[in-house]
Amino acid sequence: MSHVVLDLKASLKTFLRNKSTIFWTIAFPCVLILLFGAIFSQSSTKYELYLQNQDQTNGKATYWSDLIVKSLNATGAFNVYTVDPTINATDYAISNRLTSLLIIPSGFNDTVNMAWATRGSVIANATFVYDQSTSSSQIVLSIVDSVFDKVQLSTTIRYLGIEGSTIAPKRYGYIDFFLPGVIGMTAMTTSVFTAVALSARFKENGVFHKLATTPLKRYEWILSRTIYNILISYLGMAIMIILGLTIFSMKLTLDAVSLLMVAMASLMFTGLGMIIARFVKDPDGADAAANAITFPMMFLSGTFFPLSTMPQFLQAIAQVLPLTYVSEGLRAAMIFGQTQQAILNTAIISVLGLVSIFVGSWITKWEED
Amino acid sequence: MSNELPSAREGTGLSNDVAIRVEGLTKRYGDLVAVNGISFTVKRGEIFAFLGPNGAGKTTTVEMLECLRKPTAGKAYVLGYDISKDKDNIKKRTGVLPQDFATYERLTVRETIQYFAGMFNSHPDVDGLIKQVDLEDKKNVLFKHLSGGLRQRLGIAVSLVNDPELVFLDEPTSGLDPKARHVVWHLIDEFHEHRKTVFLTTHYMEEAEVLADRVGIIYNGSIVALDATDKLISEYGKKNLLILKKTSSEAVPTIRRLGIEANFDEATGDVTVHLNHAVAVSDILHELGSADIPFSELQLKRSSLEDVFLNLTGESLEEESKV
Repeated sequence: MSHVVLDLKASLKTFLRNKSTIFWTIAFPCVLILLFGAIFSQSSTKYELYLQNQDQTNGKATYWSDLIVKSLNATGAFNVYTVDPTINATDYAISNRLTSLLIIPSGFNDTVNMAWATRGSVIANATFVYDQSTSSSQIVLSIVDSVFDKVQLSTTIRYLGIEGSTIAPKRYGYIDFFLPGVIGMTAMTTSVFTAVALSARFKENGVFHKLATTPLKRYEWILSRTIYNILISYLGMAIMIILGLTIFSMKLTLDAVSLLMVAMASLMFTGLGMIIARFVKDPDGADAAANAITFPMMFLSGTFFPLSTMPQFLQAIAQVLPLTYVSEGLRAAMIFGQTQQAILNTAIISVLGLVSIFVGSWITKWEED
Repeated sequence: MSNELPSAREGTGLSNDVAIRVEGLTKRYGDLVAVNGISFTVKRGEIFAFLGPNGAGKTTTVEMLECLRKPTAGKAYVLGYDISKDKDNIKKRTGVLPQDFATYERLTVRETIQYFAGMFNSHPDVDGLIKQVDLEDKKNVLFKHLSGGLRQRLGIAVSLVNDPELVFLDEPTSGLDPKARHVVWHLIDEFHEHRKTVFLTTHYMEEAEVLADRVGIIYNGSIVALDATDKLISEYGKKNLLILKKTSSEAVPTIRRLGIEANFDEATGDVTVHLNHAVAVSDILHELGSADIPFSELQLKRSSLEDVFLNLTGESLEEESKV
């Protein structure tokens, strides 16, 4: 064990002396959070919501449609603009480059009444027209959705619905979505690149060779590197949480599940890095391979955009990417309080982590054949 | 030589005077035979050099002895321990300077020595080691900022952290400039004083000649000659030569009268005399003086390991060993 501590100390010293590593593992994710948070959170300004209420009798809104409009206004989250009920709202939204438009169709009131009477055999739908490329529309959608939830006054039976949309995180802003994603992403990049860089470089420049002539065992070295990666991922996580709490006034939960998730993600990506380094022996090639694997994962695993905003085939790909489970698990644990979901995802990552670190350790050789 | 294996020592720290015994050691990679059934012994306290061109099998051999590669066949005992069974004991008791020593880039000289000492659970006099390799003014410099020569010196200090009985030095001065090379040579020479056994590989014949008590010449995976340096030269080298520059052809019959061989080169006007122990150089000069034969310059060419290598393999080491 003393060898592990010794190597860990040396690695941490090395980390603190390497400005570019510090930048990429700590400062870069912070910059990302500040930048994206500032662009998309807009916590001080209200969102724009255009509203067309077609459900009117004699120029007067029906009971249910009026209740929806009032409830939306009451959230205080929107500047609500009313659109003339007689025009084609979708064309209007396109020509005026609107990002979010809610259409309450005529007959909405009757459908709601029928839904009540039949205890949910029909659903009264409103249509949400939105620009998928802006993340604010996702937030607007989630707020509108939460308003609908409140208005229908029942959690068991669904009477009201929103058509043509999948649901983004409920009642949360972009930063709530983004921050756990960046924590997962940082755990991935730190672990993969440290493992790749060390395994490939140490092999090429002969450090493994020298270490192999000392009593240090290979498993001790791998243990030290894994603990190092977990510590660095925790450091990044801590700094990002502090940012979230202080700058974005987020409400975050830091529980054992999220800590375990970050540790297991580091374990998994350390193993993955070692596997990459084993098959691409030249250090530059190994870096490129690591980039080729981590870069798409960042974008396809729902770090920057909710999976639901992606085309179907990309969503299918996301389902087989480990980072997806890390991000969603962290979100479930830290933001949404969905403990079961978080535990399930952490369990998946733990199994993958153990498999990958064992495979990685097995195939990383110090000694030649 | 006794047939009793030195493993009889059983880690007592005491043993006979053999540091390394190699018997029929072979390493094959598919069809390629890197090391072809070599056998030799290295005595305790001696500096033993493995001399040969790149690709001759030097590094493969030394890495098998360091327990980094598994032999295909044959046996070897290092400090009495079997290399295939007793790796831990060998690693504890030997020091290794690999080709191009490298370590954590951002540790200082001092921290690097401490790091490796920790790996051996040993507590060497770190400042003493730094002084020994003359890195006192660099002790707080990061490894990445050290030049090649300084890195090798640090590597030598690191190879001594566990106070090893035997030190493996694999091409210790490869790629260094002449000045750095001489500093490293001096350090290796000091190992003698500390009674350490040194197993050295090199493709610089001068390095082997300067440092080694005994030299094994390895070529295409086989040992073609192994003996004390001067014995190798006297056995396989050419005779020492005396060259008389720009003299007359008359010198040849004059010198031949003394009973030794001499040749005249018409192109250069030089006469080459093949010296032997029977005739002293002063006799030759006296004879030439009596005959009133002039020459502009006198050159004495000593036979070297280069000649030994050339004689044994028909190839020149010179190309590779040019500094």
